[in-house]
Amino acid sequence: MSFEPKLVGFLCNWCSYTGADLAGTSRLKIPPNLRAIRVMCSGRVDPSFILTALSKGADGVLVLGCHPGDCHYSEGNYNCQRRLPITKSLVEQMGIDPRRVRLEWVSASEASLFQEVVSEFTEQIRSLGPLELKEFDFDRAAADAQLVHE
Amino acid sequence: MNRISDPKALASYREKLKAAQDPNKTMIHFCAGTGCIACGCEEVADAFKKRIADMGLESSVTLKLTGCPGFCERGPLATVYPQGIFYEKIGVSDVDLILEKTVKHGQVVEKLLYKDPTTGKKIVEEEEIPFYKKQMRLLLGSNGLMDPTCLDDYILLGGYEGMAKALSGMQPEEIVQSVITSGLRGRGGGGFPTGWKWDSCRKAEGKPKYVICNADEGDPGAFMDRAILEGNPHSVIEGMVIGAFAIGSNEGFVYVRHEYPLAVKNLNIALKQARQVGLLGKDILGTGFDFDIEVSRGGGAFVCGESTALMASLEGKIGEPRPKYVHTTDYGLWDKPSNLNNVESWANIPLIIKGGADWYASIGTENSKGTKVFALSGKISNTGLVEVPMGITLREILYDIGGGIPGNKKFKAVQTGGPSGGTLVVETEDEMVHRSMVRSGDVQVDETVKSLLDLPVDFDELTKAGSMMGSGGMIVMDQDSCMVDVAKYFIHFLIEESCGKCLPCREGLRMLHDILERITNGEGREGDVELLQEVSNTLIDTSLCQLGGSAPNPVLSTIRYFRDEYDAHVRDKRCPAGVCNALVGYAINENCIGDGQCVKACPSDAISGDPKGLYRIDQSKCIQCDACYQVCQFDSIVRVGRDEANDVQRRAKERWVPVKERPREKVGV
Amino acid sequence: MATVKIRIDGQQVEAEEGSFLLPAIQEMGVEIPTLCYYKYATPYAACRMCVVEIWDKRKKNKVVTACNYPIAEGLEVLTHSPRVVAARRTNLEMLMSRCAPMPVLQEMGKKLGIEEPRWGWGTDTCILCGLCVRVCDEIVGARALGFASRGADRYVTTAFDGEADSCILCGACASICPTEHIQLEEADGRKIIHDEVTLGPNSAISVPFRQAVPNVPRIDPEYCIHFRTGGCTVCSQVCPKDCIHYDEQEKTEEIEVGTIVLATGFQDLDPEILKPYGYGKIPNVITAMEFERMNNAAGSTGGKIQLQNGAEPRSIAILHCIGSRDERHHPYCSRVCCMYGLKFAHLVKEKTEAEVYQLYIDLRAFGKGYEEFYQRILSEGVNVIRGKGTEVVRAGRGRAEEGDLLVRCEDTLAGVFREIPVDMVILCTALEAHSDAKETGRKFGVSIGADGWFIERHPKLGPVSTATDGVFLAGVCQGPKDIPDTVAQGGAAAAEAMSLMIRGEVEMDAACAVIDEEKCCGCRLCNDLCAYSAITFDEEKEVSVVNEALCKACGTCVAGCPSGSIKGLHFTDPQIYAEIEGILS
Repeated sequence: MSFEPKLVGFLCNWCSYTGADLAGTSRLKIPPNLRAIRVMCSGRVDPSFILTALSKGADGVLVLGCHPGDCHYSEGNYNCQRRLPITKSLVEQMGIDPRRVRLEWVSASEASLFQEVVSEFTEQIRSLGPLELKEFDFDRAAADAQLVHE
Repeated sequence: MNRISDPKALASYREKLKAAQDPNKTMIHFCAGTGCIACGCEEVADAFKKRIADMGLESSVTLKLTGCPGFCERGPLATVYPQGIFYEKIGVSDVDLILEKTVKHGQVVEKLLYKDPTTGKKIVEEEEIPFYKKQMRLLLGSNGLMDPTCLDDYILLGGYEGMAKALSGMQPEEIVQSVITSGLRGRGGGGFPTGWKWDSCRKAEGKPKYVICNADEGDPGAFMDRAILEGNPHSVIEGMVIGAFAIGSNEGFVYVRHEYPLAVKNLNIALKQARQVGLLGKDILGTGFDFDIEVSRGGGAFVCGESTALMASLEGKIGEPRPKYVHTTDYGLWDKPSNLNNVESWANIPLIIKGGADWYASIGTENSKGTKVFALSGKISNTGLVEVPMGITLREILYDIGGGIPGNKKFKAVQTGGPSGGTLVVETEDEMVHRSMVRSGDVQVDETVKSLLDLPVDFDELTKAGSMMGSGGMIVMDQDSCMVDVAKYFIHFLIEESCGKCLPCREGLRMLHDILERITNGEGREGDVELLQEVSNTLIDTSLCQLGGSAPNPVLSTIRYFRDEYDAHVRDKRCPAGVCNALVGYAINENCIGDGQCVKACPSDAISGDPKGLYRIDQSKCIQCDACYQVCQFDSIVRVGRDEANDVQRRAKERWVPVKERPREKVGV
Repeated sequence: MATVKIRIDGQQVEAEEGSFLLPAIQEMGVEIPTLCYYKYATPYAACRMCVVEIWDKRKKNKVVTACNYPIAEGLEVLTHSPRVVAARRTNLEMLMSRCAPMPVLQEMGKKLGIEEPRWGWGTDTCILCGLCVRVCDEIVGARALGFASRGADRYVTTAFDGEADSCILCGACASICPTEHIQLEEADGRKIIHDEVTLGPNSAISVPFRQAVPNVPRIDPEYCIHFRTGGCTVCSQVCPKDCIHYDEQEKTEEIEVGTIVLATGFQDLDPEILKPYGYGKIPNVITAMEFERMNNAAGSTGGKIQLQNGAEPRSIAILHCIGSRDERHHPYCSRVCCMYGLKFAHLVKEKTEAEVYQLYIDLRAFGKGYEEFYQRILSEGVNVIRGKGTEVVRAGRGRAEEGDLLVRCEDTLAGVFREIPVDMVILCTALEAHSDAKETGRKFGVSIGADGWFIERHPKLGPVSTATDGVFLAGVCQGPKDIPDTVAQGGAAAAEAMSLMIRGEVEMDAACAVIDEEKCCGCRLCNDLCAYSAITFDEEKEVSVVNEALCKACGTCVAGCPSGSIKGLHFTDPQIYAEIEGILS
């Protein structure tokens, strides 16, 4: 049996979650790999959620929020946008390919975009293969950091 | 020249000028007014200048180019002082003669003297000439004594004395009261008391106030305003300063027609001079009063002589009148209180202030004070400007001053007050006139009326006689004038000049002209005269301004006095005066001596005959141009009805005898 | 100004001192002829028809023009004395002899007893009343007109008889001209008949449309002379209630509300982009909305169906689905066109003799009674062709006898290609979302669908509410629908809004952020994160505090708190961890 990635999606209640709904009512075919978690806003996505998901066995994490300027809470998505790169670098430091974490903007009406993003992300993770978590070597990481500093 | 700082300085300056004058120096006062320019005075003046220089006479003679003294009939004119010799009709060839004989040797040039037509005597001095003798030349008198472009001349004659007196010693109320007491009435035509006008303008609310001088003299045959502005512009300026001071105005305008270039030129020179020495502008004569005058040139629209149209034109709008239900003294120029007076009125002001109101009031009749300048023109021997005291009779003006009707023709009427004032004073003793007046209900059949020629000329008497003073134009008509044609002439003038704003004036004048044209063309119909009256009455009642309101006057007054003439045109297709081409035939009677002058004059080869024989006019070729009538010296060409012409010529053939066979006394010039 | 007593024709009346006589006389019901008087311009007193005989308080008798004679105490006026009547007659007669026989003169002549002027009629069509000049000068303020020449030669003209730069083409001179001496012409000499096609003449002041709310006129500054030149203001002088204020311009007002119903409607697709139909290029190709306007009894054809040249059309084609159900424009069905297309056919049949062709893809007569109406239309003899109209062209010389235009289509039922000659083509253009709908949506927190319409909260469960609490949708802004559906949705939206308002209080979502005072280190990071300023700092306790009424529970602060002291109720960290664990197990 081929590799079926497990993906966790954090979907904003106002846009992508509704968009996913619309994709459903529109009978769009979506890979079953994405497991959605509804959050009220992409700004609610705590980096620890992503790390937790990865550590608990997810092969990739997809965060979907409203397009810039469209946030139901004015600027929650901007906060998310600022956090994600940091999270990605953190993930990278842990030896995980940062491509496994992705932020995308999908509005409530963009059912087809939702379909596209999910399919594409699934394919990407599929090509990256299953996430194998190594024991994290803190001393090594510290030494690496030292080297970088010098 | 320095600024004259106060009234005293002006007086002392005058004294200084007087002292500098040499009473024995020869002065030639040579008229350079427009009337004399038309007679060629410019060439003569140049010749004078050149010859004086050539002959080295600069130190012993002064040539002064003056304004118009009024005797335009005889121009170019010169008076040689200190002797006061008056020369008339001076040509270029006469210059040497005057310089040689009079200037060098103090002799009189006989051939240039004025010859009294009645006595045949030659007259040397100006004052002795009948034309001047009966005049009272308060305004025009100065014209011949000064160079209008020379401020010193004016000051020397007492100029700006009145202004100095008014500004330094009188309250504005006092000045207004003086003008009221003097009894001066507007000389522009209306005859409204000038003082009362000033008073209401002075009391009117609103600032600033304006004083305006109306120099848009448009009446045909009237040119007294031009003569004053050309010959004595300072007198108008002085009058305006006094008026402005009395009214409380600091800004004045002179609205002068563009057709008066010399007046504009001289006025501008005078304004500049007055400003330079502090007689105009800021702080006049050190009294703290500011007043300046701007000259505005009109495009020559007759209607712009009407006060509201004049003001509209000054504002830069179309020169159209507006109804005067609200007076211009309250809402005039730019809706501000404005006082408008005519040139002649303004020129009278300095005299009143200087000479005193009581002195001025002593001249003239009870309700008309001072003098009035009339412009005599038409069929009169002495055309020109005459200034007479109010109350003088028409006969005196026309016969004593004007020299009567030339060519032993019969006086018919005199038209006063310009075209829109165009009313007539006639010889009421004339039978035909009397008959017309009976028809119009003016007199009873058996009533004999006093000749209107003995009418004392003043505002009220003229109005009572059915005429008006107007601006002072007097056009004299003799027996050769057709009254229908005269009416048509004035209406035609007004058609050209009507602004066209209001319906009655625009359409009514056209209508009147059409009817008159028809009558003079021999196509008059029964009822046309009544139609003329109907349209005229509508014009009088409903025209917007006085141009239209008084426009029918020439028609109505000619109908009133000369109804017979109208009827002759309409019914008999005959023009009694022989003017209306379509109704006139020319014929040669038995007086003909066969000199052939008429043949040369005839443009259409209508006259034929043998020399020294009786000539004959071919009626089919005659175009009624009147040329033969003008040249014939033997009263042989007669103007008769169209149908009568051949009868006259047939009779002439029967009666004619060769000149040699005629009794001696019958031949004569 | 004081009120004074004057006598007019023996009758004592009160009038304002200094005001003009003519209005006072007219107020009494006495008719006075006038040709140059216009209430809103300065009296000109040029026609002299309004002359009356007066005695002023000094008993001085005069004839004056009533239009500009100022009223003063003790004035006595005779409006029809023999003297003035005679003057009026003569004046009018003289004017008649100048002018051509024109209605305004003939009527006035009839009243004054002049049938024919004694001197015969003239030829001029201008009566020189000066109305145009004064209106252009005083009211419009353009000063493009004036008089030239003098006396009888006077005429109205522009500066130097040339093209007037200052003319603003307002047409005021032509509309005020009593004799039609001044006329407006289009550049190519064509008279304007068909301006109703541009949905009404360009009147500067009008009620925008019949059912406008509020149903009051408004000024269109593009056409209003006052806004162009600063002149005119006639409307404010006419208005008896003093309702017109020019300084009252468009302004933004802020109203605090608890609920909002969005009913912003739709816009018509501009058919000019659909080149094959030739709209805007070929005459008599019009949109459905323009046809509606023409058909309206209050429209400028008075409800008459006519071609641009004023003639009745011989045949009309109604083309369905213009821009709708079209991949290149709008894939959706506009829903209303089928039925109004049928209605048009019915109206055309009722009002004219014209042949009607319906060109459709599918006829969707889905509502109650709709199918029956369709059947009725069929029985009225309307040609119903299944096949979309693909092109409209001018008919060549050979076909022009049947119709000036040719409509091309494929008759899919008959399986033939057809060319139908018609005189008029009506395009049933698509309903589309307003071009600025996106901006509006953003303003109200309402999402826009791919086709531009507002998105409801749930297609089935929340068809009138939106993602934003208190904002509701009604009508076509949510998607194409016909009038009954729109009314129903409007009712629903209103009811939803009402239910919120009647309650007077809002039930908050239980989700909300709370701060654990024990854990909070007082860094205030969360204070800046909150878009609703719901978090403030308690200076005394040195901790941040959440105002639950303001909190929208987005959770941004929860995620951002470095000490983990903020808990997002219903979306707490443990809950989400559990969820993650759950879905990954």
